[in-house]
Amino acid sequence: MPTGSYLLIGLFLPLFPLSMGFNFVLGKSRSTLLRIVLLLLWPQIGLILLPMLDSPVPGWIIPLALFTAALYALRALALRDVGQWSGFLATSAWALLWIARQGDMPMLQLHLFALGFSAPLVLLTLLGAGLARRFGAAYTGLYGGLAESLPRFSAILVLVVLAIIATPLFPTFFIMLVTVMQAATFMPLLAVGVTLVWLLWSWAGARLLQGFIVGPAGDEAVIDLNRLATGAYALALTLLVASGLYGLGVLL
Amino acid sequence: MTLPLGQQLKIRTMIYVAGEPIPFFWPMRAFIHHNPLHGLEHLPFPEAVATGAQLFHGRGFLSRHAYQRYLAQGKVDRAALAAGIDEFVAQQPAIPGVDLSHWLMTLLTRGEQPIMRSTSLADAKEVHAAIHGREQPEPRVDPDTLTAMLHDTLLDACPLYDAVDRLYGTGIGAELDELVIKSCLDFFDEGQSVWHMPGRKQGLFSAWRELALRNARLFMRGLHIERILENEPHPEGVIASVMSELGIPEDKWVDCFSRELSRLHGWAGFIRWRANAKHYYWSQRYPADLVDFLAIRLTLALALLAERSRQRIATDRSALETLIQTRPRETWLRHELHSGAILPAYAQRVEQTLARGRAKAIEQCFDDYVRARRRHDAEDQAAHLCQLATRADANAALEVLTSDQLATLMPVLQQFEDAEGMLWLRAMEAQAMQTVLRDINLTPPVPRDKRPFAQALFCIDTRSERIRRHLESAGDYQTFGIAGFFGVPISFMELGKGSETHLCPVLLKPKNLVLEMTATAPADVAATTALEKVLHELKESVFTPYVTVEAIGMLFGFDMLGKTFLPQSYNRWRQRLYRDKPATHLLLDKLDREQADSIVRAVQRAVVGKAIEQEFELEPEAVTDEMVRELREAALGHATRAPALSGTLNLTEEAEQAFIQRLRSVYRIEPAFAQLQREQLARIGFSLDEQTNFVSQALHSIGLNRDFSRFILLVGHGSTSDNNPYESALDCGACGGNHGLINARVLAQMANQPRVRQRLRAQGIDIPDDAWFLPALHDTTTDEIKLFDLDRLPSSHVIYLDRLRSGLTGASRLCAQERLPELQLTAGNCDPAEANHQARRNAMDWSQVRPEWGLSGNAYFIIGRRQMTQHLSLAGRAFLHSYDYRADPKRRLLENILTGPLVVGQWINMEHYFSTVDNERFGSGSKVYHNVAGRFGVMTGNLSDLRTGLPAQTVLDQGHPYHQPIRLITVIEAPYEHARQAIEDVATVKNLVRNGWVRLLIIDPEQNTAHIYDHNTWQSRPLPGGQADEQPTESTAS
Repeated sequence: MPTGSYLLIGLFLPLFPLSMGFNFVLGKSRSTLLRIVLLLLWPQIGLILLPMLDSPVPGWIIPLALFTAALYALRALALRDVGQWSGFLATSAWALLWIARQGDMPMLQLHLFALGFSAPLVLLTLLGAGLARRFGAAYTGLYGGLAESLPRFSAILVLVVLAIIATPLFPTFFIMLVTVMQAATFMPLLAVGVTLVWLLWSWAGARLLQGFIVGPAGDEAVIDLNRLATGAYALALTLLVASGLYGLGVLL
Repeated sequence: MTLPLGQQLKIRTMIYVAGEPIPFFWPMRAFIHHNPLHGLEHLPFPEAVATGAQLFHGRGFLSRHAYQRYLAQGKVDRAALAAGIDEFVAQQPAIPGVDLSHWLMTLLTRGEQPIMRSTSLADAKEVHAAIHGREQPEPRVDPDTLTAMLHDTLLDACPLYDAVDRLYGTGIGAELDELVIKSCLDFFDEGQSVWHMPGRKQGLFSAWRELALRNARLFMRGLHIERILENEPHPEGVIASVMSELGIPEDKWVDCFSRELSRLHGWAGFIRWRANAKHYYWSQRYPADLVDFLAIRLTLALALLAERSRQRIATDRSALETLIQTRPRETWLRHELHSGAILPAYAQRVEQTLARGRAKAIEQCFDDYVRARRRHDAEDQAAHLCQLATRADANAALEVLTSDQLATLMPVLQQFEDAEGMLWLRAMEAQAMQTVLRDINLTPPVPRDKRPFAQALFCIDTRSERIRRHLESAGDYQTFGIAGFFGVPISFMELGKGSETHLCPVLLKPKNLVLEMTATAPADVAATTALEKVLHELKESVFTPYVTVEAIGMLFGFDMLGKTFLPQSYNRWRQRLYRDKPATHLLLDKLDREQADSIVRAVQRAVVGKAIEQEFELEPEAVTDEMVRELREAALGHATRAPALSGTLNLTEEAEQAFIQRLRSVYRIEPAFAQLQREQLARIGFSLDEQTNFVSQALHSIGLNRDFSRFILLVGHGSTSDNNPYESALDCGACGGNHGLINARVLAQMANQPRVRQRLRAQGIDIPDDAWFLPALHDTTTDEIKLFDLDRLPSSHVIYLDRLRSGLTGASRLCAQERLPELQLTAGNCDPAEANHQARRNAMDWSQVRPEWGLSGNAYFIIGRRQMTQHLSLAGRAFLHSYDYRADPKRRLLENILTGPLVVGQWINMEHYFSTVDNERFGSGSKVYHNVAGRFGVMTGNLSDLRTGLPAQTVLDQGHPYHQPIRLITVIEAPYEHARQAIEDVATVKNLVRNGWVRLLIIDPEQNTAHIYDHNTWQSRPLPGGQADEQPTESTAS
């Protein structure tokens, strides 16, 4: 059943237009916990199903995967809702797993890559829920100046977004580095495309932060993250950095 | 197509009127403190603040929280606050069960935030239901009301592109600002760029038009401005054509222009000032005015709108009108979403629904959103009211209010919150007035048996108050306050500079030119200066910066380390690289006709000599006097031939005549130009009469007309700081934002002239022969006072110099010690020597964003004898102008003080007021992000409006106001009628007082009463120890 397998796997390791499925399900999920589960498990299911394909990945899938990654990264530039933004970034990132797979990456490593992409998005989902609790929605451009009104929250938000957009020391950075280097070995133009996607993520991240962090704070008094929550987020980020460095050690 | 002249003039007039509320912005080289709402001073203060808030989107008062801090610190008079509330309550309808005064006082003093929302959709019934936890009534939305509201908001209150932005989130406004700013930066550059915009001499619009028509970037961006510009060579025509195309009716043009100008009010203010500054070098060379500016802005706005119209959105007035009429619900949802007013919880749904564009879904979304919004607003409002009632201990009263009573209460609260800023302000001013009234001393001074060791005339600047107090305590010194230009308006041409600087308040236009000259031989440009010029060009050029960094980056690193870690020693070493300025003389005496002719002749001879050398490549020794004389005569038309030259060089008659013609046309050796030179020379210096009058007026105005000391110091002031574009804001405002030394030198030189003194004696001012006027400079950053022109000091005085210097040094150190804790440079207090060291280091530290507090804290303008406040520490908050009403029976001197110094003081005060209450809009925000723009202003980041007003570091301390924003409390010590009449006679000041831009207090020393102008009338009250009634009474005249 190759066609059915491809369709199924293309749903979980998103390929356009099947990628709409994940974003539809994520958009309909109101529970934070459910969203977290989706973010963590969705690509893992795709990777578990991947061995169902008894033949090598056909060549046309790679451009489609790159197209999917670029499309969602580009669309993320204009998004203002954090939930939707997370979904699009996740879709864009997971689509790149096809390219990593094409470079003969071991399956275990692919699972870890997927986890590396999902983990910071999980943190963003939690932060988004925090924003929704405080302001009614996690939506950029409506209430700026969080740096002033919620300094601790802002600091964590900035670091989490940096983790998502693959800045150095976070695992996503090393994953992207490996993907680009692998792509360069078998199709240099593909490496350029992946780099372009990476660039779009950075742009989208900067726009997201700009809509929350800068500007004058609103008049309403809002409560910042408590020390315990800040510590927990900081610990999670430290673990991400540590795992990134561990990954680097393995790579080297 | 060219617009008829009448139409052109009409548009110019409209723009002139539209530009009136935009405050001037002076180049920062000579920072002028000014009222940002100067154009609205014809309105009463509260009205002007409201209008200014609409126009500039700035706040006119501090937040309630900030006022509450002042209340807690005892800087607000609670009784005055209560009186203000009672006054407000008296005008409101009574609401049964509600002690309105108590509620309002609770609201002011215990409520953290305003509780009423002007944008709330909920009505009183819904709020009432929310208070009682009942089901909300079903909201009704009247489509006509919605349409009218949208019409008002989008079509009448904002520019068209702004309306489009608010409906579609297109960001046209931001892009337009960016394009206009870039154009302005190109045109107005004053030497910061190495490559200049071509065609600037034609004026702003023409130069921009030439470039814009060939600008590929605009074309690629999809902006086809050639379509707008091709048929209209003049800015007025372009403006008319754009306004017609946008469909804006002509009766709305002025409002529209005002809004456009106020959007970048820094740039508009600079262009407005520049167009009026006829003497300004850059303005003469590259003319520009607001008509040019608006033409550019409107052209780009139309081009951007046309570009967006390709996205099938409404981009002209009629299309917007149709949209509002036919699809009001969709329009309103769009407005809510893109103006940022939407409930966040609905933002995504509204965005997606609008994107899909299905009419039915939009209607459903609208209904749901309105219901949610009204419920949210009602619950929010109810929560705030309950909170207020709880704080006022009046929950029961709120509970029993009917919805009709609530409908009465809510607008009252809204009205009160709109007016509360004035209540706080007045209460704060009342406290400040009480402070000064309580401690004022009206006892006459004890007669002296000998003259003081020295007398010192300081600027009225608030920073002089401290140093004067310390100098008086240091020994037998008597001090006076006078406007820092010492009453002598000067146009000054500094040694080595080719342009004139006006050293007087900007209100005055100086007639007399003073030249600085030196007897030392002219020197070549110092090597350091030449090197700096080369470095600048290397840095600013397009190609060289990378190479420069590679080649000599280390040099900059060395410089950076030195400035950062050893600012004092490093800067001292660096100063040695520069040649010292030679000792100079000021050319003060007027030239008579013969002298002027002689100078013109000498200049002509020199020019003719140089012309012969250059044109015929002769050595100087080959040029004879005879040749020069003949050629000069011939060029001036007094002779026809110049045989000496022709004979020496074997010139033909044609060649000789050609050279003579060239002397006329190129070298300007001709009668008309000679006449112009004579007129210019006539401006140099002061006649003996003028000198006598200036000295007499200066001394009379401060009441110093006898008992002259051996030394009379004329202390101008200036500041020293590094890496500070706002340096001149710390200099003397009365000297047009320059150091006050030149004016001090000029007056001293005049007053030391025996011929002047002789004439003064005839006027009753007998200055003894051993009295010497000595100029000095007070550095307000370090508090040092340096003496000047000591080479002119009579030898008889030299022996006393040590004592004088010792007194000045002591005062400087004590002043630094008092001032330094406020700058938070050291932990806790330090001794005077350490304070002096720290202050000097601070002045040289390039990383220091606050070299001194400057005029921050100014609150009082005291016109009277020094004895009145000598015993008080006014903490550098008072402008002190010496004045003795007994020496001014005709009020002429008082009128002069009111006309000049007081108005300058009011500008300074208002600049600080508005920069404090809204530092982002009226001030210039944080210095940390500032970049110098074109060498005349600063911008935030790499591209912004020119930042006007004062930076946060000047008026705020860790986000809270350091400057206490109150209107200038002017205290005049004089009999009531004397002072009141003087105010009435000076129209400007009369209007400022009546419109509430300054608070006026007359201290009548003869009746021992104080008269305060309040609520459009004079109210009198007794001073401590006075015999008058205890209660304030209304004075007869108002």
